[in-house]
Amino acid sequence: MDTSNPTVFVNAELLGRYVGRKVRAVIQVIRNDGAAVIGKSTDEKQITVKGLPPSQLTTFVEVIGIADGQNSIAADKWTNFGDNFDIFTYNKLCQLANGEYQHLFL
Amino acid sequence: MAKTVTPDAIAIMRSNPSPDSSADVPEIVVQVLDLKSTGSRSRFMFTANDGKMKLKGILPSNVESEILSGSIQNLGLMRILDYTLNDIPNKSDKYLVVNKCEAVSPALEMEVKSDVGDPDSGILLKLKQENQVRTAAGVPLKPKQEMVAKSAAQIVHEQHRNMAPAARLAMTRRVHPLVSLNPYQGSWTIKVRVTSKGSMRTYRNTKGEGCVFNVELTDEDGTQIQATMFNQAAKKFFDKLEMGKVYYISKGTLKVANKQFKTVQNDYEMTLNENSEVEEASNEASFVPETKFTFVPIDMLGPHVNGKELVDVIGVVQRVSPTMSIRRKSNNEIIPKRDITIADETKKTVVVSLWNELATTVGQELLDSADQSPIVAIKSLKVGDFQGVSLSTVNNSIVKVNPETPEAKKLRSWFDSEGKASSMDSVGSGIMASSRNGSRSMYSDRVFVSHFTSNPSLGEDKPAFFSVRAYVSFIKPDQTMWYRACKTCNKKVTEAIGSGYWCEGCQKNDEGCSLRYIMVVKVSDPSGEVWLSAFNEEAEHIIGCPADELNLLKSQENEENPYQLKLKQAIWVPHLFRVSVAQHEYMSEKRQRITVRGVAPVDFAAESRFLLEEISKQKASQ
Repeated sequence: MDTSNPTVFVNAELLGRYVGRKVRAVIQVIRNDGAAVIGKSTDEKQITVKGLPPSQLTTFVEVIGIADGQNSIAADKWTNFGDNFDIFTYNKLCQLANGEYQHLFL
Repeated sequence: MAKTVTPDAIAIMRSNPSPDSSADVPEIVVQVLDLKSTGSRSRFMFTANDGKMKLKGILPSNVESEILSGSIQNLGLMRILDYTLNDIPNKSDKYLVVNKCEAVSPALEMEVKSDVGDPDSGILLKLKQENQVRTAAGVPLKPKQEMVAKSAAQIVHEQHRNMAPAARLAMTRRVHPLVSLNPYQGSWTIKVRVTSKGSMRTYRNTKGEGCVFNVELTDEDGTQIQATMFNQAAKKFFDKLEMGKVYYISKGTLKVANKQFKTVQNDYEMTLNENSEVEEASNEASFVPETKFTFVPIDMLGPHVNGKELVDVIGVVQRVSPTMSIRRKSNNEIIPKRDITIADETKKTVVVSLWNELATTVGQELLDSADQSPIVAIKSLKVGDFQGVSLSTVNNSIVKVNPETPEAKKLRSWFDSEGKASSMDSVGSGIMASSRNGSRSMYSDRVFVSHFTSNPSLGEDKPAFFSVRAYVSFIKPDQTMWYRACKTCNKKVTEAIGSGYWCEGCQKNDEGCSLRYIMVVKVSDPSGEVWLSAFNEEAEHIIGCPADELNLLKSQENEENPYQLKLKQAIWVPHLFRVSVAQHEYMSEKRQRITVRGVAPVDFAAESRFLLEEISKQKASQ
């Protein structure tokens, strides 16, 4: 397992901190137009995900890719997370994993 | 109308520190400098300037409106109609308490300074090195003092004062900050204000009868401590210690606070006995402790629900209800109550119930200014579970509207920029809304399996109840998993002579019977593993089918072995168990027996929220 470049849990607010790095985020799909997906992050802000989404997208998707802007990700891995997802908890996870418990994740 | 300060106004006041009445007070007009709020109880401090001398002082609370409206301004002139000068211990200076005053003129261009050599003012010299100033009486002053202009009257007065034996106690007393007190150092003196006074209670115990009362003391830094007095000491100090007054206290004892009863943030609590000393401080005006807040963000209130410690919050007022009259159940008294909804940067809202005076005074103030979204900081709130999370004021809660603190400023700028527009949820609605099986109990008394394994004598006197989240890790296939039960009363039946089954309880025979589970299963969590006893209902949830059906599967002896399969499918499934732990004698040996009282599937979203609260609880207790 390659742990040299751990994937950072981000929401919209944290995304900007990790531009150029590998990040993962769960977004709620708002619009899908083939080339990019407009999604709502777990802290209720808009994120653009570029790349090739799979044919079927559920309401919530986890994307893993490189952060390439204050609110966009170039994704190369998409995972459907279904239609029921607790964004509050995920958002708290992002905050804790990048805050005081960062040493456990990065 | 005076257009300038009264010359030597300060000297005049110094020469008559306690005028008998305002008729005794001559025309005294001073310039107000350094006007600022003390931070509590709308009192304002200032420096009085008469052009030659300055004196620090405090203004009465009844001029607050004039200050806020601008009649009394910094750099403005004010006539002092009635005043008192108080001593400051350990300092040779005095403190001016203005009892009555009126505005004379708005802000002057600058600080009033008399010209040097003004013939009216007596001898004036500003010197920086050692020097002697000759007064009218020709008495040289002490050298090595920075000489500030003094009039003859002032110098003679000071000389007299320094010779007085009076202030011995004040001079020799050294005040310790409350935060430095500990049980191992006995000789301390503290200077504190009584910020809360309980009523005298009588009690009866094995030693007889007694009386007790306690007070909450706050010192200059804002540190608080609870002090308790029993019997003789209680009687001695009950009348002496008045709410709001400042005292020097020494010879009390400290011990570690009983967390069950404490309402004040302090590791220690104090006891005063008959030998303790309590002396009223005469210059309390110069000492006003700041209200110290430790704010809890609204979204972190969950773990405090129904806790004993009181919390402080700060938030933007979104809604203020009209005053409601609530009848107190205990004595049928009618008391006013008002609910306000506040929000903070965590984007959560909570309802705070203001009781009694707070409902009528501050509550009305908030209602009137509600459209300006005032910020309110409240100290000492009880956290209840109404609608998930609710806050309630107690006797000594303090409410500050639009305080001048950094937290308030931060909140204001957050609200003005984004808070106003954002939609916010009540913090209570996010807390554990869950489904069946007394779900609340699945989140109370939560422990790890290690709690059972490391405490073998748990549940010794009476059964102890806990909830635990664990995986079923092993079910012995060869155990007797069920018993034959009466279809009516579920008691054990015995095989009747002939056919059928006999139920002792119902006193009748029945053709058939039902099978009911009675089994032990092993459960594991990251901290350990333990055996649980499970009866019919709970076991059915664990196995996934009734005992009769499992029996059927068992009798099907084929290749697939559906019985083993069924058991295998029950393994490594997580559940929330409600268990009771009791001591059980088995072959003259006391054994721990853990029985499953309830089973619920794990709701991962709710469980995650629970974990988040545990994390914040851990953080809070660090």
